[in-house]
Amino acid sequence: MTSARHNAVYNLPIAEMLVSSPGLSRSSLPLLVTLCFLLTSISFAADWAAPELELARKIAAATGPGAVALDVTNRSSLNKKDADEISRGLRVQLEALGVRTVKPEQAAATVEVSLSENLQNYAWVAEIHQGAGEFSVVMVATPRQAAAAFVREPAPLTIRKIPLWAQEGRILDVGVLEEGAAGPSHIAVLDPEKVALYKFTEGRWQQEQALPVTQARTWPRDMRGRLVLRQDHLFDVYLPGVFCQSSGSVPLSLICRDSDDPWPLSTQFALSGFFAPTRNFFTGGLSPGVGKQISTAKFYSAAPIQRPTYTFWIFAGVDGQVHLLDGISDQNARLNWGSDLASVKTACGSGWQILSTRQGDNSSDSVRAYEFPDRDPVSVSQTVDFAGGITALWTEAKGGTAVAVSRNAETGNYEAFRLAISCSQ
Amino acid sequence: MVAETRPQYGASLRTATRIAPTSLDPAAQPDSVAQRNLSRLMFDTLVTMDSRGRVQAALATSWQAAPGNQRWQFWIRRGVKFHDGSPLTPEAVAAALRAANPDWSVLPAVDSVIIERNAPDADLPAQLARGRNAISKRSEGGTLIGTGPFHITDWQPGKKLALAADEGYWGGRPFLDAIEIEMGKPARDQLIALDLGRADVAEVAPEQSHRASTEGRRVVTSAPVELMALVSARARQSPEDGKLREALALSIDRNSIRSVVLQGAGEPSGGILPNWVGGYAFVFITDQNLERARQLRSEVRQPPAWTLGYDAGDPLARVIAERIALNARDAGLTLQTTTASTADLRLVRLTLASLNPQIALAAVASATGLAAPKLSGNSIDELYQAESGMLQTQRLISLFQLPVSYALSPAVKDWSQERDGARHLENVWLGSKP
Repeated sequence: MTSARHNAVYNLPIAEMLVSSPGLSRSSLPLLVTLCFLLTSISFAADWAAPELELARKIAAATGPGAVALDVTNRSSLNKKDADEISRGLRVQLEALGVRTVKPEQAAATVEVSLSENLQNYAWVAEIHQGAGEFSVVMVATPRQAAAAFVREPAPLTIRKIPLWAQEGRILDVGVLEEGAAGPSHIAVLDPEKVALYKFTEGRWQQEQALPVTQARTWPRDMRGRLVLRQDHLFDVYLPGVFCQSSGSVPLSLICRDSDDPWPLSTQFALSGFFAPTRNFFTGGLSPGVGKQISTAKFYSAAPIQRPTYTFWIFAGVDGQVHLLDGISDQNARLNWGSDLASVKTACGSGWQILSTRQGDNSSDSVRAYEFPDRDPVSVSQTVDFAGGITALWTEAKGGTAVAVSRNAETGNYEAFRLAISCSQ
Repeated sequence: MVAETRPQYGASLRTATRIAPTSLDPAAQPDSVAQRNLSRLMFDTLVTMDSRGRVQAALATSWQAAPGNQRWQFWIRRGVKFHDGSPLTPEAVAAALRAANPDWSVLPAVDSVIIERNAPDADLPAQLARGRNAISKRSEGGTLIGTGPFHITDWQPGKKLALAADEGYWGGRPFLDAIEIEMGKPARDQLIALDLGRADVAEVAPEQSHRASTEGRRVVTSAPVELMALVSARARQSPEDGKLREALALSIDRNSIRSVVLQGAGEPSGGILPNWVGGYAFVFITDQNLERARQLRSEVRQPPAWTLGYDAGDPLARVIAERIALNARDAGLTLQTTTASTADLRLVRLTLASLNPQIALAAVASATGLAAPKLSGNSIDELYQAESGMLQTQRLISLFQLPVSYALSPAVKDWSQERDGARHLENVWLGSKP
């Protein structure tokens, strides 16, 4: 961990200094992101007045008062509405400075304004042509806005996707500690460095505590982790080669140690799997096993399906096969599934559904629910789409919902959702 | 059917590159996207720049400038090891930076290095993100080693480089087990190897990228990152010389060359920085104006015949040089193309040195023999004025901004590439082919 002095990172004075601004702690960044995340249904109109005035002043300084022909071209990622608004605003500012905009044949000068952009800013460039071949260029820069972090689903689906949390850094798991009438009110967010506890009070999420994961390991790429709520203490954390346990009373503490203890594969059944400490998969070793079967092929994820007389398990294998273990046989299936599975016990359909990611690249992803009337899956829902690859999918503590984390391909932020099955179509 | 959403560890990636370096020393290499991509496999820098040009922590976890931006301190990440297992120390960092920058004062401290410049340097962190400032050292056996995601297993200078994943890489072990890189292989041969299933990644020349894509290959292309330009060997000699240089610049039909020779790749350019970095590149004229060119030519009584040099190993450069000579003749100018090392004008490719526009401009000035632009701040006005000033010397005639492209086999997953062409093979993995 870095010391307080080390956190005094210096960066150039650029538009987006959230991480390095000394007045804003790192811990408050996720909160801000989340607020944006939760409030994106509200559209904030950009304020272009200042750069409009600045550019108008520069143009007026070059042309002097009089009549000019103004043409505005949008060469940037600004939408038409904003570009039109800027064009109107610029004309108003110019008029106020004594520069009237007229038709080209009536103008003493022509001003071609390009709304351009570079890496960090919008660049508004005015090319001014006056009599006798006189040509000048003036420009202003104004910071570009970050892309919208989240677009709310337009309509409820069979699988409801409920936003839980979003942040720049990787989210490994989210545990819901308390529920209010309107949804989760107290959550624990596991990332590679810490478990952060947030409480929803006075209309916003506030960080209660951040418990650092103290260990000296280098985490594997595509890191995974599991946060498991407990009854005798608040939670356990399973990380590659590391196990952490929280204390049971406030203020909480988190004690971590190197460990090869198996990770729980279900909140409903006592099956655990050994996780490869330098990779992103389970070794295949099971504890205590599925019936007499104490191992299977290396796998990424596992999900149980309960039958009246037995339980069988589905493993998404590293070999690309889906393995079905029922305590006696290990059957391979060729399914068009991704590598993350979770099962949920609901009041819908047969009572058990498997949530599965889809196969494909990580520019987008989706989850679909399946049931197993026999040994072949049947799709029972439409897909619910994500704006990037799913990096985690775990069944929640009560077993009726799951947490999915995806990395938004556009913003790069990690976004955690609760996935709940709705019986109504 | 294979579950492929989650990355798979393992496998060896086969690729090739047009360049054929005889040394891997990051400080001694000519700057190119291919060279940088090669270097970053083995070596890390103290900081990196993200896709928006913001400085991010790498081997340094934090940094701070003393008032005046002349003295900087960078705190070194703990627990990082070189590929021979020796720890990354402030002493090793300081030695590497001193070797790459002899005019810098770099001193190791307890857990940091202190860099002192002889003038204020607000852009020092961005300088340290450049590949030439990657941290390397010689092992006891004399081999060059770094702290990057891959270590060298076989190095045949100019021919072949074999790398293996570094299990203890501080950023997380790469998914790939190994990378095999064949060197000095023309882009066309690389595409053939890709089509035959003998390579997973191939460099695609700009003029081939459109065709490579329309033939069904999976092609990824960067933003324009390479400036193709004519650079004069001498400063402007006289007002007449200036008129001839302007005439030459106006005679070049960039749009036609782009359409025919470059097959639509790249962008005609009249400036130095690409628009996505500067934001105002369209202000600089790129259109051919033969009438004005002829008029300027006619104002000079006995114009000299110039030689136009190009890289004999660059087939694209030869064709473009010949087209420029034809355009010049239409304006009444005589250009004789040559592959000789001395020429009045040279057709060059200048790689965007940094996503920091000030550093990028300074690098072009340095490469073309121009005085370093004087910028006291970061305003877009100053940047534009500095760039305009460089162009007004008429030492450089900008032609095109070119991207870099790669063709990928279907097995390549999670291809990770920055806008400037920087690729991150540590994030790539190989899956099954559809």
